[in-house]
Amino acid sequence: MTATLITLQLALTSTVLLIIIGTPIAWWLARSRGVAKIFIEPVVALPIVLPPTVLGFYLLLAFAPDGIVGQWWLLATGKGLAFTFSALVIGSIIYSLPFYVQPLQVAFENIEQSLLDAAATLGATPLDRFLSVVVPLSSRGFITAICLAFAHTIGEFGIVLMIGGNIPGETRVLSIALFDHVESMEYDQAHIMALGLLAFSFTLLTLVYSLNRRWQLRFASQS
Amino acid sequence: MQINAKIHLTRASGFTLAVDLTVKPTGVTALYGPSGSGKSTVLRLLAGLEHTKPSDQILISSDEQIWHADNQFTPPHLRDIGYVFQQPQLFPHLSVRRNLEYAVKRRRGNQDLTLQQVSGWLGIHHLLDARPTSLSGGEAQRVAIARVLLSGARCLLMDEPLGAIDYAARLQILPYIDGLHRVLDIPIVYVSHALDEITYLADDVYMLDKGRVTASGRIFDLASSLTLNSHEGDAVAAVIEGVVHTHDTDYGLSRLTLGSQSIYVSLCSQPPGTKVRLRIPARDVSLTLQAPVQTSILNILKGVVSEIETASAKPSLLVKIKIDDHYILSRITRKSLAQLELSPGKAVFIQIKTVALLTDPTQQVAQHL
Repeated sequence: MTATLITLQLALTSTVLLIIIGTPIAWWLARSRGVAKIFIEPVVALPIVLPPTVLGFYLLLAFAPDGIVGQWWLLATGKGLAFTFSALVIGSIIYSLPFYVQPLQVAFENIEQSLLDAAATLGATPLDRFLSVVVPLSSRGFITAICLAFAHTIGEFGIVLMIGGNIPGETRVLSIALFDHVESMEYDQAHIMALGLLAFSFTLLTLVYSLNRRWQLRFASQS
Repeated sequence: MQINAKIHLTRASGFTLAVDLTVKPTGVTALYGPSGSGKSTVLRLLAGLEHTKPSDQILISSDEQIWHADNQFTPPHLRDIGYVFQQPQLFPHLSVRRNLEYAVKRRRGNQDLTLQQVSGWLGIHHLLDARPTSLSGGEAQRVAIARVLLSGARCLLMDEPLGAIDYAARLQILPYIDGLHRVLDIPIVYVSHALDEITYLADDVYMLDKGRVTASGRIFDLASSLTLNSHEGDAVAAVIEGVVHTHDTDYGLSRLTLGSQSIYVSLCSQPPGTKVRLRIPARDVSLTLQAPVQTSILNILKGVVSEIETASAKPSLLVKIKIDDHYILSRITRKSLAQLELSPGKAVFIQIKTVALLTDPTQQVAQHL
Protein backbone atom coordinates (compact mmCIF):
# COMPACT_ATOMS: atom_id res chain seq x y z
CA MET A 1 0.00 0.00 0.00
CA THR A 2 2.80 2.42 0.89
CA ALA A 3 4.40 1.72 -2.48
CA THR A 4 1.17 2.77 -4.24
CA LEU A 5 0.94 5.96 -2.19
CA ILE A 6 4.54 6.88 -2.84
CA THR A 7 4.09 6.19 -6.53
CA LEU A 8 1.04 8.43 -6.73
CA GLN A 9 2.73 11.11 -4.66
CA LEU A 10 5.77 10.99 -6.92
CA ALA A 11 3.69 11.12 -10.11
CA LEU A 12 1.56 13.96 -8.82
CA THR A 13 4.48 16.07 -7.57
CA SER A 14 6.48 15.51 -10.75
CA THR A 15 3.50 16.34 -12.97
CA VAL A 16 2.73 19.58 -11.15
CA LEU A 17 6.38 20.62 -11.37
CA LEU A 18 6.49 19.57 -15.02
CA ILE A 19 3.54 21.84 -15.80
CA ILE A 20 5.45 24.74 -14.24
CA ILE A 21 8.81 23.93 -15.83
CA GLY A 22 7.77 22.21 -19.05
CA THR A 23 5.13 24.66 -20.30
CA PRO A 24 7.55 27.58 -20.85
CA ILE A 25 10.05 25.19 -22.44
CA ALA A 26 7.38 23.88 -24.84
CA TRP A 27 6.31 27.44 -25.66
CA TRP A 28 9.86 28.53 -26.27
CA LEU A 29 10.57 25.51 -28.50
CA ALA A 30 7.35 26.11 -30.44
CA ARG A 31 8.04 29.79 -31.11
CA SER A 32 11.82 30.08 -31.19
CA ARG A 33 13.59 30.25 -34.51
CA GLY A 34 17.05 30.78 -33.04
CA VAL A 35 20.14 28.61 -33.12
CA ALA A 36 19.74 27.57 -29.47
CA LYS A 37 16.66 25.54 -30.36
CA ILE A 38 18.78 23.17 -32.48
CA PHE A 39 20.60 22.12 -29.30
CA ILE A 40 17.87 22.39 -26.69
CA GLU A 41 15.34 20.29 -28.61
CA PRO A 42 17.49 17.09 -28.67
CA VAL A 43 18.50 17.60 -25.03
CA VAL A 44 14.83 17.60 -24.04
CA ALA A 45 14.18 14.52 -26.20
CA LEU A 46 17.21 12.53 -24.96
CA PRO A 47 15.33 10.58 -22.25
CA ILE A 48 13.15 8.99 -24.97
CA VAL A 49 16.08 7.18 -26.57
CA LEU A 50 18.55 6.89 -23.69
CA PRO A 51 18.38 3.72 -21.52
CA PRO A 52 17.01 4.87 -18.14
CA THR A 53 20.04 3.36 -16.48
CA VAL A 54 22.37 5.69 -18.36
CA LEU A 55 20.43 8.71 -17.21
CA GLY A 56 20.15 7.21 -13.72
CA PHE A 57 23.88 6.62 -13.57
CA TYR A 58 24.74 10.23 -14.37
CA LEU A 59 22.07 11.52 -12.05
CA LEU A 60 23.42 9.29 -9.28
CA LEU A 61 26.88 10.81 -9.77
CA ALA A 62 25.43 14.30 -9.74
CA PHE A 63 23.26 13.65 -6.69
CA ALA A 64 26.06 12.06 -4.64
CA PRO A 65 27.22 14.20 -1.66
CA ASP A 66 30.32 15.21 -3.66
CA GLY A 67 28.39 15.56 -6.93
CA ILE A 68 27.47 18.90 -8.48
CA VAL A 69 23.84 18.87 -7.44
CA GLY A 70 24.38 16.82 -4.27
CA GLN A 71 26.93 19.29 -2.86
CA TRP A 72 24.63 22.20 -3.45
CA TRP A 73 21.68 20.30 -2.01
CA LEU A 74 23.70 19.42 1.11
CA LEU A 75 24.54 23.07 1.62
CA ALA A 76 20.97 24.19 1.12
CA THR A 77 19.16 21.55 3.15
CA GLY A 78 21.79 19.93 5.30
CA LYS A 79 20.85 16.50 3.97
CA GLY A 80 22.07 14.19 1.24
CA LEU A 81 20.11 14.00 -2.00
CA ALA A 82 20.77 10.53 -3.38
CA PHE A 83 18.32 7.80 -2.35
CA THR A 84 15.65 10.29 -1.22
CA PHE A 85 12.14 11.07 -2.45
CA SER A 86 13.37 14.48 -3.66
CA ALA A 87 15.96 12.76 -5.83
CA LEU A 88 13.17 10.68 -7.37
CA VAL A 89 11.14 13.81 -8.13
CA ILE A 90 14.08 15.51 -9.85
CA GLY A 91 14.86 12.36 -11.79
CA SER A 92 11.22 11.93 -12.83
CA ILE A 93 10.99 15.48 -14.07
CA ILE A 94 14.02 15.02 -16.28
CA TYR A 95 12.93 11.59 -17.45
CA SER A 96 9.33 12.58 -18.21
CA LEU A 97 10.15 16.01 -19.65
CA PRO A 98 9.91 14.99 -23.32
CA PHE A 99 6.61 13.20 -22.71
CA TYR A 100 5.19 16.44 -21.37
CA VAL A 101 6.94 18.92 -23.67
CA GLN A 102 6.49 17.26 -27.04
CA PRO A 103 2.67 17.00 -27.25
CA LEU A 104 2.42 20.51 -25.88
CA GLN A 105 4.97 21.86 -28.33
CA VAL A 106 2.98 20.40 -31.23
CA ALA A 107 -0.21 21.99 -29.86
CA PHE A 108 1.54 25.36 -29.49
CA GLU A 109 3.00 25.16 -33.00
CA ASN A 110 -0.51 24.69 -34.39
CA ILE A 111 -1.65 28.04 -33.01
CA GLU A 112 -1.49 30.66 -35.70
CA GLN A 113 0.70 33.64 -34.90
CA SER A 114 -1.90 35.89 -36.50
CA LEU A 115 -4.44 34.99 -33.78
CA LEU A 116 -1.91 36.15 -31.19
CA ASP A 117 -1.25 39.28 -33.24
CA ALA A 118 -4.98 39.97 -33.23
CA ALA A 119 -5.08 39.56 -29.45
CA ALA A 120 -2.08 41.89 -29.06
CA THR A 121 -3.70 44.61 -31.16
CA LEU A 122 -6.81 44.30 -28.99
CA GLY A 123 -4.61 45.27 -26.05
CA ALA A 124 -3.77 41.87 -24.56
CA THR A 125 -0.38 41.60 -22.81
CA PRO A 126 1.84 38.59 -23.61
CA LEU A 127 0.75 36.70 -20.45
CA ASP A 128 -2.89 37.59 -21.14
CA ARG A 129 -2.51 36.28 -24.71
CA PHE A 130 -1.05 33.05 -23.41
CA LEU A 131 -3.81 32.47 -20.87
CA SER A 132 -6.75 33.69 -22.97
CA VAL A 133 -5.80 32.32 -26.38
CA VAL A 134 -2.97 29.80 -26.22
CA VAL A 135 -4.12 27.73 -23.23
CA PRO A 136 -7.75 27.24 -24.33
CA LEU A 137 -6.71 26.49 -27.91
CA SER A 138 -4.16 23.89 -26.79
CA SER A 139 -6.26 22.21 -24.11
CA ARG A 140 -5.99 18.92 -26.03
CA GLY A 141 -2.23 19.17 -25.97
CA PHE A 142 -2.30 19.95 -22.25
CA ILE A 143 -4.45 16.91 -21.44
CA THR A 144 -2.29 14.60 -23.52
CA ALA A 145 0.90 16.04 -22.03
CA ILE A 146 -0.29 15.83 -18.45
CA CYS A 147 -1.61 12.28 -18.81
CA LEU A 148 1.52 11.06 -20.57
CA ALA A 149 3.82 12.67 -18.00
CA PHE A 150 1.77 11.28 -15.11
CA ALA A 151 1.54 7.77 -16.54
CA HIS A 152 5.17 7.74 -17.53
CA THR A 153 6.30 8.71 -14.04
CA ILE A 154 4.20 5.92 -12.57
CA GLY A 155 5.72 3.36 -14.90
CA GLU A 156 9.33 4.42 -14.37
CA PHE A 157 11.79 1.79 -13.18
CA GLY A 158 15.40 2.02 -14.20
CA ILE A 159 16.06 5.56 -13.10
CA VAL A 160 14.28 5.01 -9.79
CA LEU A 161 16.40 1.99 -9.09
CA MET A 162 19.60 3.91 -9.79
CA ILE A 163 18.96 7.10 -7.82
CA GLY A 164 16.28 6.07 -5.36
CA GLY A 165 17.49 2.72 -4.21
CA ASN A 166 14.76 0.69 -2.65
CA ILE A 167 13.87 2.26 0.68
CA PRO A 168 10.38 1.26 1.85
CA GLY A 169 8.22 4.27 2.63
CA GLU A 170 10.69 6.67 0.96
CA THR A 171 11.70 5.60 -2.50
CA ARG A 172 10.14 2.20 -2.97
CA VAL A 173 7.60 2.76 -5.76
CA LEU A 174 5.25 0.23 -7.39
CA SER A 175 7.50 -0.85 -10.22
CA ILE A 176 10.34 -1.54 -7.77
CA ALA A 177 8.03 -3.35 -5.36
CA LEU A 178 6.83 -5.51 -8.25
CA PHE A 179 10.41 -6.36 -9.11
CA ASP A 180 11.05 -7.29 -5.46
CA HIS A 181 8.04 -9.59 -5.37
CA VAL A 182 9.14 -11.38 -8.50
CA GLU A 183 12.68 -11.80 -7.14
CA SER A 184 11.35 -13.38 -3.97
CA MET A 185 8.92 -15.58 -5.94
CA GLU A 186 5.80 -13.87 -4.48
CA TYR A 187 3.86 -14.16 -7.72
CA ASP A 188 0.43 -13.44 -6.17
CA GLN A 189 1.43 -9.95 -5.01
CA ALA A 190 3.33 -9.43 -8.27
CA HIS A 191 0.16 -10.27 -10.19
CA ILE A 192 -1.90 -7.74 -8.25
CA MET A 193 0.58 -4.95 -8.89
CA ALA A 194 1.21 -5.82 -12.53
CA LEU A 195 -2.49 -6.08 -13.29
CA GLY A 196 -3.19 -2.88 -11.39
CA LEU A 197 -0.56 -0.95 -13.37
CA LEU A 198 -1.78 -2.46 -16.61
CA ALA A 199 -5.40 -1.54 -15.89
CA PHE A 200 -4.41 1.96 -14.81
CA SER A 201 -2.32 2.64 -17.90
CA PHE A 202 -4.99 1.24 -20.20
CA THR A 203 -7.74 3.34 -18.60
CA LEU A 204 -5.68 6.51 -18.74
CA LEU A 205 -4.72 6.06 -22.38
CA THR A 206 -8.33 5.25 -23.34
CA LEU A 207 -9.38 8.44 -21.61
CA VAL A 208 -6.77 10.52 -23.42
CA TYR A 209 -7.65 9.13 -26.83
CA SER A 210 -11.39 9.52 -26.39
CA LEU A 211 -10.99 13.07 -25.10
CA ASN A 212 -8.82 13.84 -28.09
CA ARG A 213 -11.43 12.46 -30.46
CA ARG A 214 -14.18 14.51 -28.84
CA TRP A 215 -12.08 17.64 -29.18
CA GLN A 216 -11.31 16.87 -32.77
CA LEU A 217 -15.02 16.71 -33.51
CA ARG A 218 -15.69 19.94 -31.70
CA PHE A 219 -13.04 21.91 -33.56
CA ALA A 220 -13.29 19.92 -36.77
CA SER A 221 -14.31 22.84 -38.98
CA GLN A 222 -11.70 25.14 -37.47
CA SER A 223 -8.60 23.57 -38.93
CA MET B 1 -3.60 60.53 -33.18
CA GLN B 2 -1.07 61.41 -35.86
CA ILE B 3 1.55 58.87 -36.89
CA ASN B 4 4.85 59.68 -38.51
CA ALA B 5 6.96 56.91 -39.97
CA LYS B 6 10.35 56.82 -41.63
CA ILE B 7 11.09 53.28 -42.71
CA HIS B 8 14.20 51.89 -44.32
CA LEU B 9 14.68 48.16 -44.10
CA THR B 10 16.25 45.38 -46.12
CA ARG B 11 15.18 41.77 -46.21
CA ALA B 12 17.39 38.73 -46.73
CA SER B 13 15.58 38.25 -50.06
CA GLY B 14 17.06 41.58 -51.23
CA PHE B 15 13.73 43.41 -50.92
CA THR B 16 14.19 46.99 -49.75
CA LEU B 17 11.45 49.05 -48.21
CA ALA B 18 11.97 52.81 -48.09
CA VAL B 19 8.86 54.71 -47.11
CA ASP B 20 8.17 58.07 -45.47
CA LEU B 21 4.63 58.33 -44.28
CA THR B 22 2.35 60.62 -42.32
CA VAL B 23 -1.02 59.47 -41.08
CA LYS B 24 -3.16 62.53 -40.44
CA PRO B 25 -5.33 62.64 -37.31
CA THR B 26 -8.54 62.36 -39.33
CA GLY B 27 -9.62 60.66 -42.50
CA VAL B 28 -8.47 57.61 -44.39
CA THR B 29 -4.86 57.26 -45.45
CA ALA B 30 -4.59 54.53 -48.06
CA LEU B 31 -1.56 52.48 -49.05
CA TYR B 32 -2.16 51.33 -52.58
CA GLY B 33 -0.01 49.08 -54.70
CA PRO B 34 0.38 45.63 -56.22
CA SER B 35 1.09 42.64 -54.01
CA GLY B 36 4.74 42.56 -53.01
CA SER B 37 4.97 46.35 -53.03
CA GLY B 38 5.53 46.36 -49.26
CA LYS B 39 2.28 48.02 -48.21
CA SER B 40 1.32 45.30 -45.73
CA THR B 41 4.81 45.36 -44.24
CA VAL B 42 4.44 49.10 -43.64
CA LEU B 43 1.13 48.49 -41.87
CA ARG B 44 2.57 45.68 -39.73
CA LEU B 45 5.47 47.97 -38.79
CA LEU B 46 2.99 50.64 -37.69
CA ALA B 47 1.31 48.00 -35.52
CA GLY B 48 4.60 46.66 -34.13
CA LEU B 49 3.97 43.18 -35.53
CA GLU B 50 6.90 43.00 -37.89
CA HIS B 51 10.34 41.68 -36.97
CA THR B 52 13.21 43.96 -37.87
CA LYS B 53 16.97 43.69 -37.84
CA PRO B 54 19.22 46.08 -35.90
CA SER B 55 20.58 47.34 -39.23
CA ASP B 56 17.12 48.49 -40.34
CA GLN B 57 16.48 52.18 -39.83
CA ILE B 58 13.02 52.75 -38.53
CA LEU B 59 11.51 55.71 -36.76
CA ILE B 60 7.82 55.52 -36.00
CA SER B 61 6.09 57.85 -33.60
CA SER B 62 2.57 58.81 -32.68
CA ASP B 63 1.83 62.19 -31.10
CA GLU B 64 2.93 61.39 -27.58
CA GLN B 65 5.35 58.52 -27.88
CA ILE B 66 8.09 56.90 -29.89
CA TRP B 67 6.84 53.56 -31.14
CA HIS B 68 9.88 52.31 -32.95
CA ALA B 69 13.40 53.69 -32.99
CA ASP B 70 16.95 52.33 -32.87
CA ASN B 71 16.82 51.35 -29.23
CA GLN B 72 13.18 51.80 -28.45
CA PHE B 73 10.21 49.61 -29.18
CA THR B 74 6.61 49.89 -28.01
CA PRO B 75 4.94 46.46 -28.23
CA PRO B 76 1.63 46.25 -30.14
CA HIS B 77 -0.59 45.96 -27.04
CA LEU B 78 0.64 49.36 -25.81
CA ARG B 79 0.12 51.23 -29.08
CA ASP B 80 -3.63 51.86 -28.76
CA ILE B 81 -4.22 50.68 -32.29
CA GLY B 82 -6.82 48.40 -33.79
CA TYR B 83 -5.96 46.04 -36.61
CA VAL B 84 -8.29 44.41 -39.10
CA PHE B 85 -6.55 41.56 -40.89
CA GLN B 86 -7.36 40.09 -44.28
CA GLN B 87 -8.65 37.00 -42.45
CA PRO B 88 -11.01 37.93 -39.60
CA GLN B 89 -8.83 36.24 -36.93
CA LEU B 90 -11.74 35.57 -34.62
CA PHE B 91 -10.89 33.36 -31.67
CA PRO B 92 -12.30 29.94 -32.60
CA HIS B 93 -12.77 28.86 -28.97
CA LEU B 94 -15.08 31.78 -28.19
CA SER B 95 -18.58 32.58 -29.43
CA VAL B 96 -19.12 35.78 -31.41
CA ARG B 97 -20.36 37.50 -28.26
CA ARG B 98 -17.32 36.37 -26.26
CA ASN B 99 -15.07 37.54 -29.08
CA LEU B 100 -16.60 41.00 -28.78
CA GLU B 101 -16.39 40.90 -24.99
CA TYR B 102 -12.72 39.99 -25.31
CA ALA B 103 -12.18 43.46 -26.77
CA VAL B 104 -14.48 45.19 -24.27
CA LYS B 105 -12.57 43.69 -21.33
CA ARG B 106 -9.28 45.00 -22.67
CA ARG B 107 -10.69 48.31 -23.91
CA ARG B 108 -8.22 51.20 -23.89
CA GLY B 109 -10.97 53.58 -22.77
CA ASN B 110 -10.96 55.97 -25.70
CA GLN B 111 -14.66 55.67 -26.47
CA ASP B 112 -17.77 54.26 -24.94
CA LEU B 113 -19.53 52.36 -27.71
CA THR B 114 -21.50 49.44 -26.29
CA LEU B 115 -21.57 45.92 -27.63
CA GLN B 116 -25.27 46.41 -28.42
CA GLN B 117 -24.65 49.61 -30.41
CA VAL B 118 -21.81 48.18 -32.43
CA SER B 119 -23.48 44.86 -33.22
CA GLY B 120 -26.64 46.71 -34.21
CA TRP B 121 -24.71 49.03 -36.45
CA LEU B 122 -22.84 46.21 -38.20
CA GLY B 123 -25.91 44.01 -38.38
CA ILE B 124 -24.50 41.10 -36.42
CA HIS B 125 -27.09 40.92 -33.63
CA HIS B 126 -28.41 37.59 -34.84
CA LEU B 127 -24.88 36.13 -34.91
CA LEU B 128 -23.91 36.87 -31.33
CA ASP B 129 -24.38 33.33 -30.07
CA ALA B 130 -22.86 31.67 -33.13
CA ARG B 131 -19.44 30.05 -33.28
CA PRO B 132 -16.99 31.96 -35.51
CA THR B 133 -16.42 28.82 -37.58
CA SER B 134 -20.07 28.84 -38.69
CA LEU B 135 -19.96 32.37 -40.17
CA SER B 136 -19.56 33.31 -43.82
CA GLY B 137 -16.49 35.34 -44.80
CA GLY B 138 -18.44 38.59 -44.91
CA GLU B 139 -20.15 37.96 -41.57
CA ALA B 140 -16.88 37.03 -39.89
CA GLN B 141 -15.20 40.20 -41.17
CA ARG B 142 -18.08 42.34 -39.86
CA VAL B 143 -17.61 40.70 -36.46
CA ALA B 144 -13.88 41.41 -36.68
CA ILE B 145 -14.60 45.08 -37.41
CA ALA B 146 -17.06 45.22 -34.51
CA ARG B 147 -14.43 43.69 -32.22
CA VAL B 148 -11.88 46.32 -33.23
CA LEU B 149 -14.40 49.12 -32.69
CA LEU B 150 -15.01 47.89 -29.15
CA SER B 151 -11.31 47.79 -28.30
CA GLY B 152 -11.06 51.54 -27.85
CA ALA B 153 -8.38 51.92 -30.51
CA ARG B 154 -7.18 55.43 -31.32
CA CYS B 155 -6.19 54.49 -34.84
CA LEU B 156 -7.45 51.73 -37.14
CA LEU B 157 -5.08 49.78 -39.34
CA MET B 158 -6.83 47.73 -42.02
CA ASP B 159 -4.90 45.25 -44.12
CA GLU B 160 -6.96 44.36 -47.19
CA PRO B 161 -9.99 43.74 -44.99
CA LEU B 162 -12.12 42.92 -48.03
CA GLY B 163 -9.45 40.89 -49.80
CA ALA B 164 -10.71 37.48 -48.79
CA ILE B 165 -14.45 37.88 -49.22
CA ASP B 166 -16.74 37.68 -52.22
CA TYR B 167 -17.85 40.64 -54.30
CA ALA B 168 -21.40 40.93 -52.94
CA ALA B 169 -20.19 40.92 -49.33
CA ARG B 170 -17.53 43.51 -50.20
CA LEU B 171 -20.18 45.92 -51.43
CA GLN B 172 -22.06 45.37 -48.21
CA ILE B 173 -19.10 46.09 -45.94
CA LEU B 174 -17.52 49.01 -47.82
CA PRO B 175 -20.10 51.57 -46.59
CA TYR B 176 -19.50 50.44 -42.99
CA ILE B 177 -15.79 51.06 -43.31
CA ASP B 178 -16.54 54.41 -44.93
CA GLY B 179 -18.70 55.27 -41.93
CA LEU B 180 -16.07 54.20 -39.39
CA HIS B 181 -14.02 57.34 -39.19
CA ARG B 182 -17.16 59.44 -39.01
CA VAL B 183 -18.52 57.40 -36.09
CA LEU B 184 -15.22 57.13 -34.27
CA ASP B 185 -13.38 60.27 -35.29
CA ILE B 186 -10.08 58.41 -35.49
CA PRO B 187 -7.68 57.97 -38.40
CA ILE B 188 -7.73 54.87 -40.55
CA VAL B 189 -4.81 53.44 -42.49
CA TYR B 190 -6.21 51.31 -45.26
CA VAL B 191 -4.12 48.91 -47.32
CA SER B 192 -5.48 47.59 -50.59
CA HIS B 193 -4.62 46.71 -54.16
CA ALA B 194 -8.23 47.29 -55.26
CA LEU B 195 -8.62 50.72 -56.81
CA ASP B 196 -12.38 50.88 -56.34
CA GLU B 197 -11.91 50.54 -52.57
CA ILE B 198 -9.27 53.26 -52.58
CA THR B 199 -11.30 55.77 -54.62
CA TYR B 200 -14.30 55.01 -52.44
CA LEU B 201 -12.60 55.40 -49.08
CA ALA B 202 -9.30 57.20 -49.23
CA ASP B 203 -8.61 60.84 -48.48
CA ASP B 204 -4.84 60.60 -48.80
CA VAL B 205 -3.12 57.97 -50.87
CA TYR B 206 0.41 56.59 -50.90
CA MET B 207 1.05 54.59 -54.05
CA LEU B 208 3.69 51.94 -53.44
CA ASP B 209 5.67 49.86 -55.86
CA LYS B 210 8.65 47.61 -55.10
CA GLY B 211 9.07 49.07 -51.64
CA ARG B 212 9.01 52.75 -52.65
CA VAL B 213 6.41 55.46 -52.71
CA THR B 214 5.78 56.29 -56.37
CA ALA B 215 3.18 58.99 -55.72
CA SER B 216 1.30 60.44 -52.80
CA GLY B 217 -1.31 63.08 -52.17
CA ARG B 218 -5.04 63.71 -51.98
CA ILE B 219 -7.09 61.08 -53.79
CA PHE B 220 -8.71 63.78 -55.95
CA ASP B 221 -5.32 65.07 -57.08
CA LEU B 222 -3.97 61.62 -57.84
CA ALA B 223 -7.08 60.53 -59.72
CA SER B 224 -6.85 63.60 -61.97
CA SER B 225 -3.09 63.52 -62.39
CA LEU B 226 -2.03 63.37 -66.02
CA THR B 227 1.27 61.66 -65.37
CA LEU B 228 -0.24 58.87 -63.29
CA ASN B 229 -2.97 58.27 -65.85
CA SER B 230 -0.93 58.46 -69.03
CA HIS B 231 -0.82 54.68 -69.54
CA GLU B 232 -4.26 53.80 -68.37
CA GLY B 233 -6.34 54.12 -71.57
CA ASP B 234 -10.08 53.76 -71.21
CA ALA B 235 -10.06 53.16 -67.47
CA VAL B 236 -9.05 56.73 -66.62
CA ALA B 237 -11.57 58.47 -64.41
CA ALA B 238 -11.49 61.50 -62.17
CA VAL B 239 -12.87 61.34 -58.65
CA ILE B 240 -14.57 64.43 -57.25
CA GLU B 241 -16.67 65.19 -54.24
CA GLY B 242 -20.08 66.85 -54.41
CA VAL B 243 -22.81 67.63 -51.92
CA VAL B 244 -26.34 66.26 -52.25
CA HIS B 245 -28.66 69.24 -52.88
CA THR B 246 -32.15 68.00 -53.82
CA HIS B 247 -33.85 64.82 -54.95
CA ASP B 248 -36.16 64.79 -57.96
CA THR B 249 -38.20 61.61 -57.61
CA ASP B 250 -40.31 62.36 -60.72
CA TYR B 251 -37.32 62.08 -62.99
CA GLY B 252 -35.36 59.72 -60.76
CA LEU B 253 -32.48 62.15 -60.38
CA SER B 254 -30.54 63.78 -57.58
CA ARG B 255 -28.97 67.18 -57.93
CA LEU B 256 -25.55 67.66 -56.39
CA THR B 257 -23.66 70.88 -55.96
CA LEU B 258 -20.13 71.09 -57.20
CA GLY B 259 -18.75 74.41 -56.06
CA SER B 260 -21.08 77.00 -57.62
CA GLN B 261 -22.39 74.61 -60.28
CA SER B 262 -24.53 71.52 -60.09
CA ILE B 263 -24.56 68.05 -61.54
CA TYR B 264 -27.29 65.39 -61.85
CA VAL B 265 -26.89 61.74 -60.94
CA SER B 266 -29.37 58.91 -60.72
CA LEU B 267 -31.51 59.19 -57.61
CA CYS B 268 -29.47 58.41 -54.52
CA SER B 269 -30.56 57.69 -50.98
CA GLN B 270 -28.28 60.13 -49.15
CA PRO B 271 -30.06 63.07 -47.49
CA PRO B 272 -29.36 66.63 -48.72
CA GLY B 273 -26.12 67.99 -47.31
CA THR B 274 -24.28 64.67 -47.51
CA LYS B 275 -20.89 64.64 -49.19
CA VAL B 276 -20.72 62.03 -51.94
CA ARG B 277 -17.97 60.96 -54.28
CA LEU B 278 -18.38 60.85 -58.02
CA ARG B 279 -16.38 59.00 -60.55
CA ILE B 280 -16.28 60.56 -63.98
CA PRO B 281 -14.65 58.49 -66.75
CA ALA B 282 -12.47 60.64 -69.01
CA ARG B 283 -13.84 59.04 -72.17
CA ASP B 284 -17.35 60.19 -71.23
CA VAL B 285 -16.35 63.85 -70.98
CA SER B 286 -16.41 65.99 -74.11
CA LEU B 287 -15.47 69.64 -74.54
CA THR B 288 -17.06 72.49 -76.52
CA LEU B 289 -16.17 76.16 -76.80
CA GLN B 290 -19.80 77.38 -76.99
CA ALA B 291 -22.54 76.46 -74.60
CA PRO B 292 -24.25 73.43 -76.11
CA VAL B 293 -27.93 74.01 -76.88
CA GLN B 294 -30.69 71.48 -77.31
CA THR B 295 -28.64 68.53 -76.27
CA SER B 296 -29.70 65.34 -74.53
CA ILE B 297 -26.75 65.61 -72.23
CA LEU B 298 -27.87 66.78 -68.84
CA ASN B 299 -24.60 67.63 -67.21
CA ILE B 300 -22.95 70.64 -68.75
CA LEU B 301 -20.45 72.52 -66.66
CA LYS B 302 -18.19 75.49 -67.18
CA GLY B 303 -14.49 75.12 -66.60
CA VAL B 304 -11.00 76.15 -67.55
CA VAL B 305 -8.34 74.03 -69.21
CA SER B 306 -5.64 73.51 -66.63
CA GLU B 307 -3.25 71.05 -68.21
CA ILE B 308 -2.90 69.09 -71.43
CA GLU B 309 -1.10 65.78 -71.76
CA THR B 310 1.99 66.31 -73.86
CA ALA B 311 1.11 64.95 -77.25
CA SER B 312 2.37 61.51 -77.88
CA ALA B 313 2.01 59.32 -80.91
CA LYS B 314 -1.35 58.18 -79.63
CA PRO B 315 -4.47 59.44 -81.43
CA SER B 316 -6.04 60.65 -78.19
CA LEU B 317 -4.86 62.51 -75.13
CA LEU B 318 -6.05 63.66 -71.75
CA VAL B 319 -7.05 67.19 -70.84
CA LYS B 320 -7.35 68.27 -67.24
CA ILE B 321 -10.06 70.82 -66.57
CA LYS B 322 -10.58 72.91 -63.49
CA ILE B 323 -14.19 73.33 -62.37
CA ASP B 324 -14.14 75.70 -59.41
CA ASP B 325 -12.02 73.71 -56.95
CA HIS B 326 -12.42 70.36 -58.68
CA TYR B 327 -10.49 68.72 -61.45
CA ILE B 328 -11.85 66.33 -64.02
CA LEU B 329 -10.29 64.67 -67.02
CA SER B 330 -11.43 64.51 -70.59
CA ARG B 331 -10.11 62.20 -73.26
CA ILE B 332 -10.19 63.88 -76.67
CA THR B 333 -8.51 63.20 -80.01
CA ARG B 334 -5.43 65.10 -81.06
CA LYS B 335 -7.43 66.37 -84.03
CA SER B 336 -10.06 67.87 -81.68
CA LEU B 337 -7.32 69.49 -79.66
CA ALA B 338 -6.03 71.21 -82.75
CA GLN B 339 -9.47 72.24 -83.99
CA LEU B 340 -10.52 73.73 -80.66
CA GLU B 341 -7.08 75.32 -80.18
CA LEU B 342 -7.10 74.34 -76.56
CA SER B 343 -4.42 75.64 -74.26
CA PRO B 344 -4.12 76.08 -70.51
CA GLY B 345 -6.32 78.91 -69.27
CA LYS B 346 -8.91 78.58 -72.04
CA ALA B 347 -12.55 78.52 -70.91
CA VAL B 348 -14.53 75.49 -72.05
CA PHE B 349 -17.90 73.84 -71.62
CA ILE B 350 -17.79 70.30 -70.37
CA GLN B 351 -20.42 67.73 -71.33
CA ILE B 352 -20.48 64.69 -69.11
CA LYS B 353 -22.23 61.61 -70.40
CA THR B 354 -21.99 59.33 -67.37
CA VAL B 355 -21.40 59.98 -63.73
CA ALA B 356 -21.13 57.17 -61.21
CA LEU B 357 -21.88 57.83 -57.61
CA LEU B 358 -19.07 56.09 -55.72
CA THR B 359 -21.07 55.95 -52.57
CA ASP B 360 -23.31 53.49 -54.36
CA PRO B 361 -20.60 50.93 -55.00
CA THR B 362 -22.66 48.84 -57.41
CA GLN B 363 -21.92 51.47 -60.04
CA GLN B 364 -18.21 50.94 -59.88
CA VAL B 365 -16.40 49.13 -62.60
CA ALA B 366 -12.94 50.61 -62.80
CA GLN B 367 -10.07 48.47 -61.66
CA HIS B 368 -7.18 50.70 -62.65
CA LEU B 369 -6.33 54.28 -62.10
